[in-house]
Amino acid sequence: MLTVTDVVKTFKTGDQTIKPVNGVSFTVEQGTFAAILGKSGSGKSTLLSLLGALDKATSGDVIVDGVNISKLPDGKLTAYRRDDIGFVFQAYNLIPNLSAQENVMLPMEFAGLSHAKRSERAAELLNQVGLTEEMHQRKANRLSGGMQQRVAIARALANNPKLILADEPTGNLDDETGELIIELLRHLAHEKKTTILVVTHDQALASQTDRKFRLARGKITEDTPKVPA
Amino acid sequence: MGVVSRSVGNAFRNKVRSGAVVVILAVAIGLALAMLVANQAVGSKVDSLKASVGNNLTVNPAGSRGGLGGGNPLTTADLTKAAAVQNVTSATGTLSVRLSNSAATTTSGTTPDSGRGEPGGRFGASGTTSLESAVAPGTLGQRNNSNGGSSSSGSTGGSTTTPTFSIPIQATGVSTSTTATGTAINLTSGTALTDFADTSTQALVGSTLATKNNLKVGSTFTVQDRTMTVTGIFDAGDAFDNNGIYLPLAATQTLTNQAGQLSSLTVVVNSIDNVASTQTALTSALGASNVDVTAGSANLQSAISSLGSVQSISLIAFIASLVTAGLIVLLIMIMVVRERRREIGVLKAIGASNRTIGVQFVLEAMVLVVLGTVVGAVVAAFSSNPIVSALVAGNTSSGNSASSRAGGGGFGAGGGAGGGGGGFTRTRGALSGANQLIGTISTSVGWQTLVLGIVGILLIAAIGALIPALLTAKVRPIEVLRGE
Ligand SMILES: Nc1ncnc2c1ncn2[C@@H]1O[C@H](COP(=O)(O)OP(=O)(O)O)[C@@H](O)[C@H]1O
Ligand SMILES: [Mg+2]
Repeated sequence: MLTVTDVVKTFKTGDQTIKPVNGVSFTVEQGTFAAILGKSGSGKSTLLSLLGALDKATSGDVIVDGVNISKLPDGKLTAYRRDDIGFVFQAYNLIPNLSAQENVMLPMEFAGLSHAKRSERAAELLNQVGLTEEMHQRKANRLSGGMQQRVAIARALANNPKLILADEPTGNLDDETGELIIELLRHLAHEKKTTILVVTHDQALASQTDRKFRLARGKITEDTPKVPA
Repeated sequence: MGVVSRSVGNAFRNKVRSGAVVVILAVAIGLALAMLVANQAVGSKVDSLKASVGNNLTVNPAGSRGGLGGGNPLTTADLTKAAAVQNVTSATGTLSVRLSNSAATTTSGTTPDSGRGEPGGRFGASGTTSLESAVAPGTLGQRNNSNGGSSSSGSTGGSTTTPTFSIPIQATGVSTSTTATGTAINLTSGTALTDFADTSTQALVGSTLATKNNLKVGSTFTVQDRTMTVTGIFDAGDAFDNNGIYLPLAATQTLTNQAGQLSSLTVVVNSIDNVASTQTALTSALGASNVDVTAGSANLQSAISSLGSVQSISLIAFIASLVTAGLIVLLIMIMVVRERRREIGVLKAIGASNRTIGVQFVLEAMVLVVLGTVVGAVVAAFSSNPIVSALVAGNTSSGNSASSRAGGGGFGAGGGAGGGGGGFTRTRGALSGANQLIGTISTSVGWQTLVLGIVGILLIAAIGALIPALLTAKVRPIEVLRGE
């Protein structure tokens, strides 16, 4: 469902040109739970931003369900980001003066859901990521890092996207909550056939994924699956 | 939780800054509203003053007015010339004469028509009548009469006794049955003049004069050697005018040996807007050295022109304050957009359209503007009156350096005790008269003014907010990863 062919992203800073993504190609099927591994600065976030249509690739194609998003006009890209993609940012990026629940309701507002439906589904999603009811109305900037991360995950799930792109989704969670999130993502991938790409350093998370890609010097390689014992 | 409540919430994210912005906006908007109120108040005052001036111009012989001054009389030729001037709808001539009481004249033993200044109470009369004045000479009459006597003919030997005299009767020769200024004569009984031939014996008599002389409709009295019949009795509303009579113009000219002569012309101009240009045209057509052309009163003219400058100043100030308010909104919203680039990126990354975000920022600006307007309206409510007063006082006293306004500029405009003016303006001087006419300009806010002001503010604010909102469209979703 996701096909990446020869994608290059070039940044020019001053007289320096860097290519954190330099000719990346891979394909994943619908319902795959995959991990992208790599050192800090290896271009993992950059690659995710290209897949999530936050930025345009310098060259190459990103094809999602047969649609080449590198060639979509801006209006269609907005709809793509809203309806098809759930993005979990490394820095959470919640709207600080809105409550946890209001943050989760935002994508549904853009999709045109009624206030009642938004509110109900947001509460449901927050419960799923393990955020207790009394925290739902708390302002995002008054939540701990772990709580913000869970709200960010709930927000990514709001519009039932077919592709979830998560940048270090368990980086700030304790082991127990991390387990909960991993289980939630696995469930989404395997039961709901949502395709999930996670960037992670977390071995516990990486070990639960179906496929593992490594990004280094702009190129991607896949770890050959271990032969089951 | 929708775009509206989000915008309201965002407007108060930085409470100190938003508070400061609201205060600054309130000052600008308050000033704009006050200026608009001033503009409207002054505008309606100008309209009412203009309406009271009317479309009339009065032509008097140069240097003469109402029996005072000198110069040469106007003629029927002048009337024809005046009627031919552009924009003149109609021109009528009148001849005002003073008729002294024939009995008093006889006892003082002077021949008729021997000119003014003669002892014996001729008072500058150009004819005699059997009518007796309803107004007693009193102190003013004595003074006026003795001034004339001693100054122009001081050689009357040993005038130790104060001569007896009576106030002369003002007779106005008219060619239509209207007053000298063209307004209808208020008849209390009888009918208007109908026979305007030089042999006419018709006359209208003022109410007090009629009472004093026991005249009714149909009664007779004499003017020079002609017996006139009272066709109507009028009430002009004041004692001076009710002591006068109206005669047909041609008869008046014949009876007083002033054939073809007129004491003033009343010219009706086709529109108020043409009054000033027609005034100039009439003056040049008749010769500046021969005539004085006046519009209503000179006081009204100077009142209107000084108010006119107040009106334009307040309009400019209104627009300037609005633009200032718009600039404040523009700058503050540009600042807000720059500050929230990353957040705009987040909204786009999770699927917000450019329009949604633009609307959110415009609404946020509107929240500030509405609050500024509410506070500004309070500011305006308290400052409108002093501002109008200061503007009017400042302009009328600087425009008329000779103004005798007590207390000078500042807040004194309320002191012009009503729009009296009336009969004393000639002696008080035109300039202080202007201030009197302006009087108190009340700054009541009509709903049209309010709607106009609010629409103006919202329009300017919307323009101010739109530019920053359009800037948000340029923010790319990748901004969300800035600084990661
Ligand atoms: N907008 C940008 N402009 C210039 N350089 C960038 C930009 N975004 C990322 N980079 C650079 O690209 C490289 C990869 O960054 P990133 O994708 O964030 O790595 P990772 O997420 O794997 O840590 C880094 O060297 C980073 O400095
Ligand atoms: Mg990263």
